[in-house]
Amino acid sequence: MTSDSAPPTPVSSVSENLSEEKRELQVHLKNEDGTLLLILPTEAETASTTSWTDLWEQLKHRLNGGSRFWQPQASVHLMAQDRLLDGRQLKAIADALTETQLQLKRVYTNRRQTAVTAATAGYSVEQQTEVPSLSLEPSKPAAALAEPLYVETTVRSGVEIRHSGTAIVLGDVNPGGSVVAAGDILVWGRLRGIAHAGAFGNARCRIMALQMEPTQLRIADYVARAPEKTPANLYPEVAYVTPEGIRITKATDLSKTHLLSNS
Amino acid sequence: MSRIIVITSGKGGVGKTTVTANLGVTLARLGSQVVLVDADFGLRNLDLLLGLENRVVYTAVEVIAGECRLEQALVKDKRQPGLALLPAAQTRKAEAINPNQMKQLIMALAQMYDYVLIDCPAGIEMGFKNAIAAAEEALIVTTPEIAAVRDADRVIGLLEANNIKRVHLIVNRLRPNMVQANDMMSVEDVQEILAIPLIGVIPEDERIIVSTNRGEPLALADNLSLPGVAINHIARRLKGERLEFIDLDATNNNFFSRIRKLLWSKLGS
Ligand SMILES: Nc1ncnc2c1ncn2[C@@H]1O[C@H](COP(=O)(O)OP(=O)(O)OP(=O)(O)O)[C@@H](O)[C@H]1O
Ligand SMILES: [Mg+2]
Repeated sequence: MTSDSAPPTPVSSVSENLSEEKRELQVHLKNEDGTLLLILPTEAETASTTSWTDLWEQLKHRLNGGSRFWQPQASVHLMAQDRLLDGRQLKAIADALTETQLQLKRVYTNRRQTAVTAATAGYSVEQQTEVPSLSLEPSKPAAALAEPLYVETTVRSGVEIRHSGTAIVLGDVNPGGSVVAAGDILVWGRLRGIAHAGAFGNARCRIMALQMEPTQLRIADYVARAPEKTPANLYPEVAYVTPEGIRITKATDLSKTHLLSNS
Repeated sequence: MSRIIVITSGKGGVGKTTVTANLGVTLARLGSQVVLVDADFGLRNLDLLLGLENRVVYTAVEVIAGECRLEQALVKDKRQPGLALLPAAQTRKAEAINPNQMKQLIMALAQMYDYVLIDCPAGIEMGFKNAIAAAEEALIVTTPEIAAVRDADRVIGLLEANNIKRVHLIVNRLRPNMVQANDMMSVEDVQEILAIPLIGVIPEDERIIVSTNRGEPLALADNLSLPGVAINHIARRLKGERLEFIDLDATNNNFFSRIRKLLWSKLGS
């Protein structure tokens, strides 16, 4: 058996919309000194079509997929940034946190209106003219990657997980689902949807899956379609960029030939 | 405690209304008080399937607008005691109602019935949001086709985000001989993607189409046909019974094994 399992068609053309997508961020959670920061992307960091419902769904998916990874009753600081939140939306966020046994304690915002809403609802509020530096390294183009995202979930059709670092998914990525990460993507399950690693342009990033049956793989600006109807290989595989485009190889072979020598 | 269950699919035409009608009849036959809520505003057809079309006077919209009392809008099925229908308006669109109003309505019904089954419209727009607003459980109906499964998957994700965690799968219109010939996804293929517990498999069967056209749900028959048995089993599994899945496999579908299975399932009921 050769180490390369039928390499998918390499497509090396750079498509413009890939780079357009890069700036788009999602709701995310971050541990900082025992408090959990719940960070809403700024208006500028999301597509203009992103609605409150989209943010809300992202939040629910993150909470459902991450509940094992924080202490019950941990306090949460909401980084609302420039988002306008009304009382109902703020309550929806607080309720979702309560359901996962987290407590909303403090709201950081740079919108006066949101500050008033939060104060009225009884949260301690910090209104800032500038965004807090601690939360924001992902949006700065030259900054280091965010800490890895670790979610335990099935990424179902229509769901997209975006992260400005490495993303680890404990579960399947279904057809129609996608994971976009600035770093590596590791799927501890079946990858049948779309994975885009190195989304900020790093072609050295890799995509790893226990079972690799993707609709499409992207690494930096390289795109590869899955070959038509191949029987699934029953061993973990890794996709990486070579001068000929994206290749897939058995994970155990890659660690022998690449991880040890090349990188 | 009453159970509020939405029957949903994402993709249209996969059998939500058929399942809702037959499941309602079956649960009522098993002795429960059941109300079916048609949440497919503008395209109502649950009343048609149940053969109750000519008895519809008021709909959910009039109840919400305060133009009639809830009891006035409910259509009781004379053939099946314990079964009632809350029809949807045919003329007004889903936008006429919001999720909160729907929730209030369903909560009022939950006071009166053991089961509230909500027939959801296709899609994931406003009508879907209304239909799931009050639901505590969901039955996902899909056919063994890639597009239907994809949409079902999307809907399961949305249900999860909306805290509906008790979700079961019904695979409808299965054709065992096609599965065998590798021309159709198998139930296992579907389950592998959707990763939610299976509660029933309904075979493709002409009698379903005939009964749809007659306005006489299969589940009303004294001698249940194979799809009728499949629905009967779904209802009983919903109630907590543990039943083996009927073997719909074409190779086992000879006369004797079929008779044996029907007998077996009759004895079990
Ligand atoms: N198991 C089956 N075998 C044969 N025909 C079926 C089966 N299930 C449903 N059908 C037929 O498929 C058609 C669509 O069914 P139904 O109206 O229940 O779907 P639906 O999901 O409610 O559609 P919509 O999304 O439009 O509301 C009907 O004509 C029905 O008779
Ligand atoms: Mg219908």
